[in-house]
Parts: sequence; C-alpha cells; structure tokens
Amino acid sequence: MPLSVKHDYPSAPDESLVRWAQSGDTEAFEQLVFRHRDKIFARAMMMMRNEDQALELSQEAWVKAWQRLAQFQGESSFATWMTRIVINLCLDQLRRQKRVRTESIDEMQEESGGVERQLPVADPNPTAGLEQDELRRRIDEALGKLTEAHRTVVVLHEFEGLEYKEIAKRVGISIGTVMSRLFYARRRLATLLQSLKRERSE
Amino acid sequence: MTLDLQAYVDGELPSDRRQAVEAMLSGDAEARELVEGLRRLSLLVRSHEPEIKVPASREFYWSQIQKQIDLVEREEIRRPAGFALGWLRWLVPAVGAAAVAVVVSLRPGPEEVTLAGAFDSAQTESSAVVFRSESDGVTIHWID
Repeated sequence: MPLSVKHDYPSAPDESLVRWAQSGDTEAFEQLVFRHRDKIFARAMMMMRNEDQALELSQEAWVKAWQRLAQFQGESSFATWMTRIVINLCLDQLRRQKRVRTESIDEMQEESGGVERQLPVADPNPTAGLEQDELRRRIDEALGKLTEAHRTVVVLHEFEGLEYKEIAKRVGISIGTVMSRLFYARRRLATLLQSLKRERSE
Repeated sequence: MTLDLQAYVDGELPSDRRQAVEAMLSGDAEARELVEGLRRLSLLVRSHEPEIKVPASREFYWSQIQKQIDLVEREEIRRPAGFALGWLRWLVPAVGAAAVAVVVSLRPGPEEVTLAGAFDSAQTESSAVVFRSESDGVTIHWID
C-alpha cells in the first residue's frame, strides 16, 4: 500500500510546490495559483483593460502552466515564468484583435519619427502629497488612458523590466519603434499626472 | 538625440554613445532637465505598480481552472486513439497498393530481362535495376 505524504502547502516555498505539482499534485498547483493569482490577473488587466478578458486570459495562463510545468527548470522564479506566459497570451489576443496599431495622432507622429524633446517636467514632483494608494490608483488611471500600443511597451519595460530588444521581439516591432513608443507613452503619462496635480489644486 | 537621452536613462546605450551623451549633457541644461524628468517618471511608475485583485473568490477562480485542466487532460487521453486510427487510414490503402505491386511483379512480362541475376537498366540516368529469378519466379525492381 503506497504511503501518502501530506505536505504543508501554505508554508512550502514555490520551489517545493512546483516540484510536487510537476509530479501531478494538483493541491500544490492550487496553492501556487492562490499565491500568485492577483499578480497574474493584474498583469493581464494592465495589458487588456478589460476585466472579463483579463480573467479569462489569466485562467488560460494557469492551464497552460499546468500543461508545461515539466518545462519549467527554475531558470527564473515561478512568478516570472507565469507572468511571461500571461503576457504572451495577452499579446496574442491583442494581435488577434488587431488593436496594436496606429490609434492616435501621437502614434502617427511617432511612426513618422517626429519625436520632440519636451517632456512636461515643469513641476519637479507632480504627485507630491498623494497617499501611496491614491498614487497607485492615479497611475493605473493614467495607464488606462494610453493607447494599447503605448501601454504595452510601458508595462513590458517598467513592470516586467524587459530590455528594448526583448520588447521588440515579443511585440514584433523594431527597436526604434519600441523607443519612440516608450517616449510618447512617458510624455503622455507625465502630462496626465500633471493634470491630476492641477485637478487637486482646483 | 531625444531617444538617445531616453536610452541613456534606461541604461540601453553602448559605452561609446553613453560617453557622447554625457559630454552633451554637461553643456545642455534642457537635455539635463529631460533626463531628470524621464528618470523621475520611470522611478515613480515602477515603484507604484497598480495593485489589482482577482474579482472572484479563491474557490471559484480555482474551480474554473481545474475544470479546464480536466478537459485538456481528457482530450490528451483521447488523442492517442485518434492518432492510431489516423495511421490506419493511411495503412490500409498502402498495404493494398503493395499487394497489387507484388502480384504484378510475379507475372513475367515480355519486356523484362529473363536471365537470372542483376542488370543495370539501359537508361543509366534513372538508375533502375531489375532482378529476375526464374527459379523462384520473382522479379524485383529498384528505382533510385
């Protein structure tokens, strides 16, 4: 009769949970889902800006992860590996929706290479005095006002920490386009955050 | 040059261009201001990543995932049977064709070489070789 071992899932490190899940332990996998579900959903939400799609894609990412678990060798953290899966699914979805394309005057300027130097930096700290939670909310709001093409490069660069080369490869654009999209996105974010400051003082 | 300034802030410039940007920054106040603005903004965004939570209970969220995993695994169990049937679809006509070829070869044709042994075909370009064994009543064709 096989000896069944009951693991202490909540206090086990990711590495152990992954190892147990790799041998077919769904309870260990459920613990990984529970531990990282908010981060994975948040990433999908930031990319898609649509709760239903983000929910669906984040769940699809977990199913894919279960299927590919044997391929995970621990070169990165489990959370990083999972985030890459959900981002790839979001990029595929955006491509299918053909939404990552010229969407605004900013992008048209950007594609024609009209990058200007100015960034609204008149106020050295446009968000001074805001509570941390409020600041997060405002930044999320500002990100929501960017075009999908611009938001994608900001998310991949600022939150995922990807280099220009890697972003270009994943999104399927040139490094030059990554750079100009990032610049326009930052300029727009700076403008949006400045207008928040004005709103507060009115 | 603006994008070079941004690449400088992001640590993406090769060393020769980085030195050129640093030289330029020392004499360009506007460029310095841009670099500082980009640096502040990047730091601000990175350190305030929006915190978004799954809008569903742990149980419901997991149950949806588990349902899909079960579905995928059932599909995978079913697939090998389908794969074998797919091979059968090809195997039956292939065996049939081979049987016809053997029957045709067993019948001696008037144009075939009737001496025992192997002979190169007269058309050397096609590298066809015919072997005929009178005693066994068998002809074998090699076409290269």
